[in-house]
Order: sequence, then C-alpha cells, then structure tokens
Amino acid sequence: MTVYETDVPGVGKKFELDVEDDARAVVLLHHDGRVEVFRRSNPDADSEKVFDLTRGEANRLGSILEGAYFEAVSTDELQVPLGDAFIEWVDIDEDSQVAGQTLVESDLRNVTGVSVIAVQRGEETIPNPDPEFQVEAGDILVTLGNREQQADFAARCR
Amino acid sequence: MAAAGLLLDAGVVLAAVAVGGAIATRLDQSVIPAYIVGGVLLGPNGPVPSLRLVGSAEFIDLLQGLGVILLLFFIGLHFSPSTLVERREAVFRAGGLDLLNGLVGLAFGFLLGFTALESLLLAGVVYISSSAIITKSLIELGWIADPEAESILGLLVFEDIVIAVYLAIVAALALGGTGGVGGGGALTAVGVSLVVVALLALLAFRGTPVVERVLDTRSDEQFLVRILAVATLVGGGALYLGVSEAVAAFFLGAAVGGTTHADRVERVITSERDLYAAVFFFAIGLATDLSTLLPLLVPVLALAVVSGAGKLVTGYLGGRAYGLSERRSARVAVAMVARGEFSLVIAAIAVQANLDPRLSALAVGYVLVMSVAGTVLMSQSARVEDLAERFLAGRTLAEGPAGPETS
Repeated sequence: MTVYETDVPGVGKKFELDVEDDARAVVLLHHDGRVEVFRRSNPDADSEKVFDLTRGEANRLGSILEGAYFEAVSTDELQVPLGDAFIEWVDIDEDSQVAGQTLVESDLRNVTGVSVIAVQRGEETIPNPDPEFQVEAGDILVTLGNREQQADFAARCR
Repeated sequence: MAAAGLLLDAGVVLAAVAVGGAIATRLDQSVIPAYIVGGVLLGPNGPVPSLRLVGSAEFIDLLQGLGVILLLFFIGLHFSPSTLVERREAVFRAGGLDLLNGLVGLAFGFLLGFTALESLLLAGVVYISSSAIITKSLIELGWIADPEAESILGLLVFEDIVIAVYLAIVAALALGGTGGVGGGGALTAVGVSLVVVALLALLAFRGTPVVERVLDTRSDEQFLVRILAVATLVGGGALYLGVSEAVAAFFLGAAVGGTTHADRVERVITSERDLYAAVFFFAIGLATDLSTLLPLLVPVLALAVVSGAGKLVTGYLGGRAYGLSERRSARVAVAMVARGEFSLVIAAIAVQANLDPRLSALAVGYVLVMSVAGTVLMSQSARVEDLAERFLAGRTLAEGPAGPETS
C-alpha cells in the first residue's frame, strides 16, 4: 500500500491513498489545521469532497478508523441501550432487611420496579433467579432499573 | 492632522474594506478588486466629491508597507524548493513558456510610448499571476485535490522566484535615482541590491538555526511581535539601502519556512497579513485617479484580451508539459489568468519612482479586469473545458489522424 505525500505550497500537505478499484482517497491537511477529505472515483474524475473537518474532528475520526478510539465514561453519565435503565450491583450484608427472605416475600419488584436479573453468591452466579429464590447475607444482587428505582431499591435492602 | 481625524480615517478605511469584502464574497468574487474600488471611491480623487473621505494619511502608508512585506513574507514562507526539484523538467518547460507572457506587456509598453524601464515594469505586471486569488479559488473549487493543482502551484512557485529576482533588479533600477537603464547610479543600485539579496538568500538557506533560535518562544504574543519586528526591520532596512522591501521579505520568509516554526506563523500571523494586505489594496485604490484611468480603458481591455489569451495558451501547454489530459490542461490554462497582488506591488514601485502616471493607472485597471475575469473563468471552467475539447477535436480532425495525444 502506497501513500503519496505532497507539499502543497501555500496550502499544506496532501496525502493520497489508493482505496478500491480505481478510486483514491485524498486528504488535505491545511496549514491552519482544517482537514479536507476527498474521494476521486477514477483517475480522470474530479475529486469530490467527502468531509470538511476541524483538527479535533479529524483526530477523533482518525482514532476511530485506527481502532484506537475509546472513551472513559463516568458512571453518572453511563448510558446503555436500556433507555433510562441501568445495571447496578447491590451488596446484601448481615443486617439487611431482605436477608433470609425470598424475592417474592420481599416484593421489591412490585414496590420499587427494579428487577433482580442475577445473583452473585461467592464464586457462583445465578442468572434469572426465580421468585422463590432466597436471598442471603453476602449475596450481591445484580439489578436493572432507572436511577430513582435503583436508589429506592438500595435503601430497602439496607 | 489631529489625532481624532486620523483615527476616524482609520475607521472609514476599515469600514470600507469590510463592506467591500462582504459584497465581493456575496458575488463569489475575489476581495482584491472590491478593496481597490473602495479605495478609488473614497480617495482624494474619488468621482463623488462628498465621498472623498480619506486623504493619503501616514497610517495608510505604514499599513500599506507592512502589507507588501507580509504578503511577500508568506510567499517566501511557502516557497518550496522541493516542488521545483521534484519535477524540474516539467516545471522549467511550463515556467519557461509562461515567461513569454511578459513579452505582451513589453510590447504594449513600447506601443504606448513608455520608456524601456516602464515597459519592463509593465511586462512584470502582465506576467505575474496572483498566488492569492488562484490558491483561494483552487481550495474553494476543490481542484486542490486533483492533479492539475500540482502543475498550477508549481507554475506559481516558478513565477515567485522569477518575480523575486525581477523585483530586486527593477526596484533598484526604478528607485536607484536615475530612473533609466545604463546610468552609473542605477548600476550601483542594482549592485547593492544583488549583494543584499545574496546575503538574504544566504540567510534563507544557511541561517535556519539562527532564525530558529530567535523565534523560539512559547508565548504566541512574543512570537507575533518578534516576527513583525524582524520582518519590518529587514524590509525597512532593505528599502533604506535602495533594495525592494518585498524581495527582502520574500527571503526572510524562506528562512523562516525552513524552521519548525512555519506552521505556527500560519496560525499566529495570517490574520495580521490579511488586515495589512487589505489596506494595501485599498491604498492602491486611493492613489488611483479615475480621470487617468478612464482614457486608458481601451488599452486596458486590449491588454487584458491579448495577455489573457496568452496565459490560456501557455497555461494549456504547461499543463501538457506536466503530462495532464486535455481537460485538466484547460483547467491549468484557466487558473493562470488571474492577476493581483504582485502586479500592484509593481505598480506601487512605479508610483514611488515617479514614473509615467499612466503606468500605475494601467496596472490598476488591468488588475481590476483580470482578477474578476480570472475568478469568473475558474468558476465557469466546465464550459471552457468543453470548448477546448471541441476546438482541439476540430483541429486534430483538420490535421488528419491525431497522434497518441490523449493521456
């Protein structure tokens, strides 16, 4: 794969890369930091502009293309494809109100709207516990609900 | 003049430049003719007496000088010897053909009864294309990503070197005192000029570490001030010695272009250059008297037609020298038509040297026509390309079987 690099006097630097069939990608880095991306479908065709990017946008796009893009997200802003809902881990300690109760007895789902989708007990993970499942001290409940529901649930497990 | 008057003058100038620029942008035109027209309208010789708002104030002279220095400084900054070396055969073939355009100006000069020096200046006015207009149009039209951009910019770089040497000589001849070729004073002036230019060239190609150190500062403010200080000192000093400040600034730009600071100059100083350059074009308008320009209307148009056709031919052949297809060569032809800032730098020399006032008026009128014609031609290039293809197809038919001309 060849990348052609040219100095463009008065403008900046030009990079060209053969992409598919006869097409060529042309990237123009302006001295002022602006980046233009063109596509030339064949050597005789005129280049068509695909993107006009700022320096920041170009860096971002580049890291995505390179596979190096990731973003550290704080849990306060966590968005998963569950609408408002998110997954939380709730510790059950010895003096918890729900320790020793089955899920149906504690009735937390009806009261708070939070579903217990799994339980971690020591090394073991129990997925989709059924209503008769008895919660014990030391369990970690994996729960699904929105922010308010989760807060309510955590309070009732204390 | 009272300080308040001076400040008000500055306000009027900047407002006129802003309005002119806005109108030109709305019309998809280069801003250069708009600035000149603004200067003509508001200047001491303006057609409407009540609009003669701006006298030739000292601050305009100053900004005009800084405009020339920064324009040429940037040309030097972008001066890329590698562009020339990489494809030297094509560059020199295309550039050599392009040089012939100067002959049109030379011939017109003699026809109009100018002296040899004045005709030589007119040759420069007609020869030199506008890097500013052409580069801007290349970016706006997206041609910058296509192969024709390389040959167009190669030609511009070639022209820049020619004009640097040319300015060094003609400025010395014109400003050297006698105003004619062959006088002892003029010869001395050319000698001094060439020595100064040689020293500056040495700085440009050997002095990079020194320049690097002088400009080494983290503060953008310090950086801006240092560049302006050095450029103004070098330009002013050169002018004091009778050497063109434009040439001095060009080589200084080349020296800075070789350092790691080149990109930073773009970021920090471009807006300064644009401001001073705008005032430079405006000041050219101020110095222009419509009553000298109007009688020259016919020569201006004749010069525009003949030299425009000349650029189309040499540009096309230049594109072919680069191995471009007929259509892309037609684009090179169209792109090279615009004239602008350099032609006006030459006109400014003619004014400074008290040469025939018709010369600078002719140059201003010519730039007005050619800067507009150049941008219009480039935006309509599809039609020109079709015409060229049809015309060339007809020609090859008439000549019989065409050679393997298509690329």
